Amino acid sequence: MGAGLAAAVVPGCSGGGGGRSEALQVWGGVPAASGPADVVKAFQQKFPQYKVEYTRFVNDDRGNLKLDTALQGGVDIDVYFTYSQGAMALRAGSGLAADLTDRVRADPELQVYLDTEKPRSYIDNGKVKALATAREPFFVLFNEKLRQRAGVELPHAWTIDEFRATARKLTTDKTVGVYTVPDVARIALGPNYWYAGDRSNFGDPHFEQGFRLGREMIADGTAFPWTEVLSRHLDAYQQNAFLGEEFHLWSTAPFNLRYLYDAKKYPHDFKVAFAPSPTVDGKDWNGGSFSNFIMINPKSPKFEAAWAFVKFWLTEGATPMLKGGKMPALGNVTDDQIVSGMLGKEPEKYFDLDSFRRVVLTSEPKLATDTRLTGFPEITLAVKQQRDLCWIGEKDPGAAIREVRRLADAAIARNERRP
Amino acid sequence: MATATLVSAGTKARVEQGRGIRPSGWTGFLFIAPNLLGVIAFTLIPLISVLVLAFTDWNLVSGIGGITFNGLGNFVAIARDPGFWHAIGLTLVYVVVSVPLTVILGLGLGIALNRPLPGRAVLRAIFFLPYIVNVVAVGMTWLMLMNPKAGLVNQVLDVFGIRPGWFASSHWALPALIVMAIWGGVGYCSLIYLSALQDAPRQLYEAADIDGASAWAKFRVITWPSLLPTTIFLLVTLIIGASQGFGLIALITAGGPGDATTTISYYMYQTGFQFYRFGYASAIGLVTFVGVLVLTLFTWRAQRGRALND
Repeated sequence: MGAGLAAAVVPGCSGGGGGRSEALQVWGGVPAASGPADVVKAFQQKFPQYKVEYTRFVNDDRGNLKLDTALQGGVDIDVYFTYSQGAMALRAGSGLAADLTDRVRADPELQVYLDTEKPRSYIDNGKVKALATAREPFFVLFNEKLRQRAGVELPHAWTIDEFRATARKLTTDKTVGVYTVPDVARIALGPNYWYAGDRSNFGDPHFEQGFRLGREMIADGTAFPWTEVLSRHLDAYQQNAFLGEEFHLWSTAPFNLRYLYDAKKYPHDFKVAFAPSPTVDGKDWNGGSFSNFIMINPKSPKFEAAWAFVKFWLTEGATPMLKGGKMPALGNVTDDQIVSGMLGKEPEKYFDLDSFRRVVLTSEPKLATDTRLTGFPEITLAVKQQRDLCWIGEKDPGAAIREVRRLADAAIARNERRP
Repeated sequence: MATATLVSAGTKARVEQGRGIRPSGWTGFLFIAPNLLGVIAFTLIPLISVLVLAFTDWNLVSGIGGITFNGLGNFVAIARDPGFWHAIGLTLVYVVVSVPLTVILGLGLGIALNRPLPGRAVLRAIFFLPYIVNVVAVGMTWLMLMNPKAGLVNQVLDVFGIRPGWFASSHWALPALIVMAIWGGVGYCSLIYLSALQDAPRQLYEAADIDGASAWAKFRVITWPSLLPTTIFLLVTLIIGASQGFGLIALITAGGPGDATTTISYYMYQTGFQFYRFGYASAIGLVTFVGVLVLTLFTWRAQRGRALND
């Protein structure tokens, strides 16, 4: 990292609450070394009149609170990222995001951001407030060594029942077939699947089907025991169990590929192959979404520079983000760039490239990006709590989903009432 | 007379001299200013903010202009909120079980460590260690120890045919946290009791020995009454601490499984920092504060009454 860039990428707070910095202040949740530093460097090379300082906030409750209080307290922030849908609704609806509609409308390259059928943007009351920088499709990873040992074929397309049968074939005395089941309801119902009119949609049978499938697979030993998941905090460290060959199948997203191409840091001796997410009742919505939304602080006095940076990131600058598994939302990168960016320096050594090309490069998964976000954090918690109770075997799937429905209805009603 | 005059003159001079160089009241304030500023910034202002916000609907992100006063709306909602009452119930269980057990075990340990044991100083340090160890290290260690499948605790309990799910069970998660709280607090209690035991009146023990009093009689009549003020102090501080218990819950269970360990502090955190309902969370904070105050006063008065009667 050059001296100039070192000055441009700073850890912790920047700008302070006092005077405004001359440099454009960008806050994001991805560590600078995982891509943003290179984006900043490329931007400054192309636009030497602008200087950029990138500040990383940790994308958890505390990190987001830090960003919110900084935005609200007038800290010098021009551009920032939002990763959770719940935070997006709050920020966009509370005057913390500039209206980008005219800029997007005026730019031929950005017209897809006005599409409401396959939304890549967050539109609040008809105004574009946030633009997705990344697309993160879900797929299923196979540990090739274990798959071949079990004599299981790599599926090109499969149903959720075939997924379950495959997990059963892969389960041995020492290893579990799959970490966990994909989100059945999401695959069947697509975006905004939690909502139906002015109530929640948890009466749809696919929600109970998903809970029941997970519970049954845990009970018959083909999915990872949820008691282990909870007591080892495995949800945040799934990669460790996959690298440790504790399970064979991993339904996950591109950001986890970074653990698989660096065998020095994350030792393993197996290749990984890709399969698409299974279908449910013939429906094939992908559990992934357009994500990593970039927003401009409406209080920023450097709107032109901020917009130049945003547009650069969207249209030509996002390639360095591939190393962290962030595929550009506009798809404006070549296949070779994606392979070398997402799969490291020796892609053939750690990945089955044919399946990667088939599943990630040539297919066009139907990403389910949520745009309705009423009571989103409350519903997220309710789903997690009841799923945990169901999957540790303490609550019947039907009862668990009924409780989710009750809590979600209450959250929606309460939030709809708020001004 | 001359002497008196001299003394008087000297005193007057000193007073005048004192007035001349005596620092004004502001100098005193300057000395305490750093601490005072800290108290104002980190205690007083947040306290007043909570008092005000408790009567509002506010999500932080909307800024000061987004504050909407809703009168007693939050308190009415709290009264009807099953999540709040569930959290209060869990907190009461946590307090009522963990605090007395910590005090009783701390007292026993304190008395044991007050006897002339070999390596007594080392033992005291060892028992006090849990109180000062970093909460993250404590949490991670217990998480491994209480792993239902491979943890040491269950490997031992397996001998007796018991295999609790600990943090992966909604029935065992709170007991596991209580065990950790007791483990962390007993050493502290024993150390406080130890210092109190050093102050116990020796002559009364000697008199009791001469009278042939039993060990239990000596404890009941001499030791316990002399330890009552310490016990009141420990009960009050432990009740307040346990009511605010948050760190280990956030680190280990995040309120789960389900809401099995969502005590009132964690519920308040969820409401404020996950749901961004800062007005409602402030109201919960206010209600909890009043509840803890009442509980503390009740404990204090009850124990004080007993101390006076004794």
